[in-house]
Amino acid sequence: MKKHTFAGGIHPLHGQHEGKAATRGKPVREFVSDSVCIPMDMHLGAPSKPLVRKGDHVKIGQVIGEAVGPRGIPVHASVSGLVTEVGLKQQLLSNASMCVTIQNDFADEWVECKGFGNVETAPADKIVPAILAAGICGMGGACFPTHAKLSPPSGKRIQTILLNGAECETFLTSDHRLMLETPGRVVDGLRAAMRALGVGRGVIAIEDNKPDAIDAMQRACRGREGVEVAVLKTKYPQGGEKQLIQAVTGREVPSGGLPMDVGVVVLNVGTAAAIADAVVDGKPLISRITTVTGAVREPSNLLLRIGTLFADAVSGCGGYDGEPGKIFAGGSMTGVCAPDDSVSMTKATNGIVVLTEKQARSQTQLPCIRCGRCVDACPAGLMPYRLMHLCVSGDLDQAVKENVKDCILCGSCSYICPAKRWLAASFKNAKEQLARRS
Amino acid sequence: MNFTAILYAALALGGLGVLFGAVLSFADKKFAVPVDDRIPRVREALPGANCGACGYAGCDALAAAIVSGDARPDDCPVGGAKCAKAISEIMGVETPQEEEPLVAKVICQGEVGVSKHRYDYDGFPSCQMASSMAGGPKKCPYACVGLGDCVQVCKFDAIKVVNGLAVVDEQKCTACGLCAKVCPRHSIRLSPRSATVMVHCQNRDSARQAREECMKACIACRRCVKECKYDAITVDDGFAYIDPEKCTRCGACVKVCPMGCIKMLEHH
Repeated sequence: MKKHTFAGGIHPLHGQHEGKAATRGKPVREFVSDSVCIPMDMHLGAPSKPLVRKGDHVKIGQVIGEAVGPRGIPVHASVSGLVTEVGLKQQLLSNASMCVTIQNDFADEWVECKGFGNVETAPADKIVPAILAAGICGMGGACFPTHAKLSPPSGKRIQTILLNGAECETFLTSDHRLMLETPGRVVDGLRAAMRALGVGRGVIAIEDNKPDAIDAMQRACRGREGVEVAVLKTKYPQGGEKQLIQAVTGREVPSGGLPMDVGVVVLNVGTAAAIADAVVDGKPLISRITTVTGAVREPSNLLLRIGTLFADAVSGCGGYDGEPGKIFAGGSMTGVCAPDDSVSMTKATNGIVVLTEKQARSQTQLPCIRCGRCVDACPAGLMPYRLMHLCVSGDLDQAVKENVKDCILCGSCSYICPAKRWLAASFKNAKEQLARRS
Repeated sequence: MNFTAILYAALALGGLGVLFGAVLSFADKKFAVPVDDRIPRVREALPGANCGACGYAGCDALAAAIVSGDARPDDCPVGGAKCAKAISEIMGVETPQEEEPLVAKVICQGEVGVSKHRYDYDGFPSCQMASSMAGGPKKCPYACVGLGDCVQVCKFDAIKVVNGLAVVDEQKCTACGLCAKVCPRHSIRLSPRSATVMVHCQNRDSARQAREECMKACIACRRCVKECKYDAITVDDGFAYIDPEKCTRCGACVKVCPMGCIKMLEHH
């Protein structure tokens, strides 16, 4: 079978199965905590407006945050019970987030949900509104509202929908388990998105380190119209949107452009499963699979309610194994560091990775010896060693000319650098400064 | 030795030199672009640090803009009144009104041990980056992050980070304002040099939360407002502000502030 890939990239934690060995054989298990704290700004776009007050009683699936603006999405209660607090709380973002805390009564009372029963018979023009009503945003990490992604501006023709099941990020196995355990939901979600956009081709792309998932998806695709599985080489960042498009379709997204410029929409497999639930059963997005791994007693793939605190998720895995040094929301390559375990998981938290103090210790930077390994590794074709010099010295105009904005912040350069230089961090800082400037 | 060959070579090269010289001097006169002689003179009057605080690429660009009328004679924030006066004389316009000289002041006292800690930041040394990570390493969302983005942009070596807090050397500061622009927390404000009595806090949170965040936070208790005989202090947005025009530097408010966030500094 042909295996697709892109130029550049690295093999992080290669000798240790990308850190996935601890959880990839473990079936998903549901864990429900005593209380959840649901932020109103989980998605990219204007934060939702809270609709409940302290003391209200809510059911699962009840809208507790109203969508604001064109990219806004509603937020739903993920447990039934009593609202104990509505207020600002510091989450992972720069500013404190408006959060609704709900005490779980474990009655698991649902609001009434009405779906279309079958994705193939659901009216095509009702699919995107159903996705919006279910509050679905990109579950691979970027949290881009899915209804906005599936409503391309007129003039852009979409020919292919790519489902991203690469899961190239270290430690994470949540998408792997999802594809293995419920492949039918993933294909249903893909078909729903294809019908909504009127697209004839859907490809599910999976890295070759998940042969069981490839097998399961291929079986689920049999007999479904226009759906196929593409096998990718295992390499980081194979799941980067632009790298994935390049590998599967051979098309290159232009600098500063979007996937829709080359006729492609990329969705995460988790997002597809959520779309299937929204269209078939009319159920909103209230839970997701999260890999909790690293320095915890019992690394697992948990089905967690949105808004579960990191501390509760870790206690669901038997607690910490030793003193935690760093907690990542996401994998260790692109994840964000959490200040402590009091933050909530969001719709995009695909993993909670705990590192020990020793693993988390940062290394001393040494001078660049111009070996050029970062240039070989860069999947965007940049010259990181040169760009870092420009970014650190403050010459951002020249850095823009040398395409710092095309950096996807995958961190391959920092990982491969023998002098342990903070390359990707300096580009992130430069991109933030440029964003502030405009 | 063949002297004639040397002579011919010297004559040929010399002749070419004379010929090209003549062509160049003709072209210089014929195709000369008239330059306003005021540009080099204005450039001479500017400080010449090329800091870019005026918004132009450097002093040359500002000089050209002043002469062409795109910029005003007092647009150089570094040169101050003296520079504006000299440029106005060159340009033959009225000297702009002399303003109170400004200086950059850090509106925070949250040094290590004073401001409460949220987490240890051990990444890329940038305030912008640290403050975008879960609200920054200090609990107060209005505090100086102390990783020196302002130090990096200062062209005059006037800012240092001491004990996790930016400190301005008022002797060296030229009030170019680059530090105030780059600070992600807006912790640096350009204030008149004579405004020595200031509230060094701009925490907008409730009193209880502010106290949880920092030991020297303004809790908007309004004791300074009651104490001030000159109506110079106002409390909006959860923190006190002293109007430098009304303040007489009597120091009464400094004594009553329970949190120690009003300070009286030496006037340089």
